[in-house]
Amino acid sequence: MPELTIAVAKGRMQDEALALLERAGVRICAEARNSRRLSVADESGSYRFIFVKPSDVPVYVEHGTADCGIVGRDVLLESNADVLQPLDLRISPCRIAVAACAGVIKSELGALRVATKYPRIASTHFGARGIPVEIIELAGSVELAPVLGLADAIVDVVETGRTLAENGLGIVEVITNSTGRLVVNRASYQLKAEAVAQLIGALRLVLGEGAVCD
Amino acid sequence: MNELISKVPNGMRYYFGAAARRRRAVEDTIMEVFDGWSYEEITTPAVDYLALFELGMGREAANRAFRFTDGDGSLLALRPDVTSSVARATATLFAQRARPLRLCYAASVFRQRPQSHAEWRRESRQLGCEFIGSSESIADMEMLAIATEIFERLGLQDDYRITISSVEVFNGITEELGLDAFGRERMRHLIDIRDAADLQRFLAEYQIPAQDCVAFSRLAQLPGKREVLDEARCVITNKRSRAALVKLEELWRLIEELGLSDVFEIDLGDVSELDYYTALTFKVYLTGAGSRVGGGGRYDRLIANFGKSEPAIGFVLELDALIDVLLRRDIKTPVSADAETDDAQMTSDDPASVLLEARERRRQNERVRVGLKRSENA
Repeated sequence: MPELTIAVAKGRMQDEALALLERAGVRICAEARNSRRLSVADESGSYRFIFVKPSDVPVYVEHGTADCGIVGRDVLLESNADVLQPLDLRISPCRIAVAACAGVIKSELGALRVATKYPRIASTHFGARGIPVEIIELAGSVELAPVLGLADAIVDVVETGRTLAENGLGIVEVITNSTGRLVVNRASYQLKAEAVAQLIGALRLVLGEGAVCD
Repeated sequence: MNELISKVPNGMRYYFGAAARRRRAVEDTIMEVFDGWSYEEITTPAVDYLALFELGMGREAANRAFRFTDGDGSLLALRPDVTSSVARATATLFAQRARPLRLCYAASVFRQRPQSHAEWRRESRQLGCEFIGSSESIADMEMLAIATEIFERLGLQDDYRITISSVEVFNGITEELGLDAFGRERMRHLIDIRDAADLQRFLAEYQIPAQDCVAFSRLAQLPGKREVLDEARCVITNKRSRAALVKLEELWRLIEELGLSDVFEIDLGDVSELDYYTALTFKVYLTGAGSRVGGGGRYDRLIANFGKSEPAIGFVLELDALIDVLLRRDIKTPVSADAETDDAQMTSDDPASVLLEARERRRQNERVRVGLKRSENA
């Protein structure tokens, strides 16, 4: 019986997360890693990993179905999930930014149509600045919206900025930075305190933050 | 069927059959425990002025309530909590009564906006008790002892944890640092989500020696037993926090003397509901429930909103969250036989005679079920 269930965001974060865990002594055998199973155990049998869509990680953790999760800060901000965030894993760094077609400068953005996969982050950001916005929620290829005239600007995750540049867009404003975080369910943190502390301690050591837990 | 008629609003649900019976039985068990400790049951109005709840819970929490207007235009709310109303009754109806007052309740509370994604219910049944008129540790311990008795009686003695803390530890530190409301909330948030690295960075901005930043962050990280208090004393020097630590230690001694230290943890990282509680706070966690199933604490300032100031401590359990866990266990290990099978079925062509027999059996307190012959044959 595994002590902890850990939900890992599929996609770009998954490989970096598993590599970090491996350095912390949590190994998943190659056979399981390469399989299409969505739920695998580590070699020691202490952990069960489930691989889910990034936006589903906070859902599993908040409900306690998973005790811990590894997911980007961007996803956490958007979900507004009530989970503990004890560790910044510093993997998959990116920025959440407002971008628009070159030529549309910041001061001219008065009332805006904003296309985004992050409606909460976008409306909070513009709300704090008193700029009225119409949020157009899209599921992907957000960069197309300003090009085709669906929106004036977009709010999206930017890693290298290449996709933006290739579609004739530029960053207007960086809203915040995002990296991968370890999140923990509030009840698991108390009821499985020892196992959680062990995991946090091992990861912290690898991250060079040993001082906090000696 | 038309969706308007068939659909149940979000966060509302039915209970029936085994679940309804289990829910009633658990509620009875808990109310018996309250009664056993001499807590008097009180029923509060389901609808009250919104202003009452704003005073009692704080504006933000009260604004989660279902609200509507009275005939004269004043704002009413479907009660989002019970303690506010109990506090008002304490200051008014029971102003002349001898202290301490011990009151308990079982009541449904309603919230238009649920607290989090996991707590999806908008109607939930709260079972709680309030001890008014004492600020001593013995009153604190009485609350905790009642909580432990409830879990023992429900057969959950191996599956729960209660964390204790005091908001005064945090209040003392923010006072010492001279934080404004914004800084205070930022620090509270970082402790609340247990982000040790950001908390260290935050503290470093206030010219606190690096080693103290590390020690304090660590303190707010993980719960533990008595050693948490020893560590805290090494790091925390301000008077206000120190007084709170002394009080916690006194309580911990009582917990140890009652042989309950296995189920309790000291968690100085518990900094929720700071504006409501004034000293001890505690939270109850149960294996199988993703969020806490109960909690409480000392609210020594609340009653002053309605009359004269007096110390009080309260405790509340979320019946529906408890029931969820218990029902999932019942499915794995069925305990009671189906209660629907042990009644006496009676049928006759003559309605009067069958009802007469039913009444006779009911006088003997037997369980009866009157058969409807014609429709059953049809």
